[in-house]
Amino acid sequence: MEEKDWEGSPLSEKEAGLLCYDDEEYQFGAPVPKLQFRVGSSKARWIAELGMAEVEVRRGKLWTTTGIIRTGKTFCFIEEAVYLSEIGELQLLGDEDDVVISLKDLYREIAEGKCGCCWENYEVYRYLKGLGYILGRHGVPWTTNDVVNTTPSDEDESLCAGEFSQDKDSITKLLSDMQICDARPVFDVYLPNSHFKKSSPGEPSFVACFSGDSPPSKEEIEVLQKRVASPLMFCHIVEGRASFFSFNSIDLLVLP
Amino acid sequence: MAPRWKWKGAEGKALAEPISKSVSELQLSLAETESSGTLSSSNVLLAVEPEQAELLDRCCFGRLVLSAEKVKKWIQLSFEEAFFLHYNLKCIKISLQGRCLENEVDTWLYMKSKRPNFPMFFKAYSHLRSKNWVLRSGLQYGVDFVAYRHHPSLVHSEYSVLVQSGDSDRLRVWSDIHCAVRLSGSVAKTLLTLYVNGNFKGEDLNLPVCLENFTVEEQTISRWSPELNREDEFTNSKQNVTNVSNLKTL
Repeated sequence: MEEKDWEGSPLSEKEAGLLCYDDEEYQFGAPVPKLQFRVGSSKARWIAELGMAEVEVRRGKLWTTTGIIRTGKTFCFIEEAVYLSEIGELQLLGDEDDVVISLKDLYREIAEGKCGCCWENYEVYRYLKGLGYILGRHGVPWTTNDVVNTTPSDEDESLCAGEFSQDKDSITKLLSDMQICDARPVFDVYLPNSHFKKSSPGEPSFVACFSGDSPPSKEEIEVLQKRVASPLMFCHIVEGRASFFSFNSIDLLVLP
Repeated sequence: MAPRWKWKGAEGKALAEPISKSVSELQLSLAETESSGTLSSSNVLLAVEPEQAELLDRCCFGRLVLSAEKVKKWIQLSFEEAFFLHYNLKCIKISLQGRCLENEVDTWLYMKSKRPNFPMFFKAYSHLRSKNWVLRSGLQYGVDFVAYRHHPSLVHSEYSVLVQSGDSDRLRVWSDIHCAVRLSGSVAKTLLTLYVNGNFKGEDLNLPVCLENFTVEEQTISRWSPELNREDEFTNSKQNVTNVSNLKTL
């Protein structure tokens, strides 16, 4: 029985073939960034109770898009510290002494997931950073407008630490709010931009969300869409292969 | 994705002959001749005049069963197509085993007994058909339906459609999402899920009027490729607000 099968016509299949993409050509795993071993690379000190590192020596333009500024100092999150260590841009020093913290210990910190970034989050962070995107922790301002006290003092340290506790608390609170649903927003992502300014970053292109083992449910997506103004992108990374999905409510137009 | 018209002039032809107009003509013609479809366990067979067969084809209802018969044409309709013509357009009757089913409820119950998810699928089908989208089976693309903006001879289908509800276990694991999105993308369609909200277990399901209590939410799922969407430099130094609608999705 001959059937009219418009969709199966050779033209449409060929056309479809042209539009087909196959990203097999892109390597599995994160792209390998150019390793730079700089003399006098940046240095930061890990502060365990904050779960963050305070940058002591800044080298290079990378700091325009990495780290947050509080009272004139730059601090970075675990994912930033580990990424920069991996690419040889940063030496992370221990709390107590000047011994460089090994990658092994850094990876363990991430694996424990106590600093707001688990391994899956980190893989996506590393992957997008390697492609030139700018990432910040969702809900954490890049900088705050504080009056800068130029003389560092103990007061400043505790002020900073206090504010950090606030930031960390607010992060914790944000995360616990999100426990209502398993899906949560983790990073604000900006397109590569050589004119990026922490003082006016603008709205992120999207917010990278993670829903863990399963795709987000309709309800979870709705909850997040209400809380987050920017577009959402759900990340799924397995064996180094990252995928980003957007779920968009639409209303198909009524045709004539 | 913009509609992909199949030949130059196709879009013009589509504008000149809107689907809604063809459907109205079909509705009138079938009602006039009191056409009746024969219900079987998986489809409905409809005998029509040659002109009506053409109208059905123009609106994309059913498939022509080729036969030697010249006077009548036989059209095979899916449950969704048949029930839409019977219940929404009220232009065909349905008979089972030689007996005309006077009450729409009888057809509904029969179809539901053969396909338990029929209510959900029919709601999704009628939702898009009521907006004048043309729907065909999506089985060759691993989905439930494919949606066309007009007749398949004029335009490629834009959406591959999956029907979901609260109870269904579609797209519950990541590999399902990857699979459906990749399949859609490789045939240049956007994946569209139709989420049917309603109580699918109640007694009321025995009446087609339960359809009025269901709602349908449309959602597209797209995959974004970070390698293909980077802008290199921004020429202006002003604050940049980029949003994901600027980003190409595949």
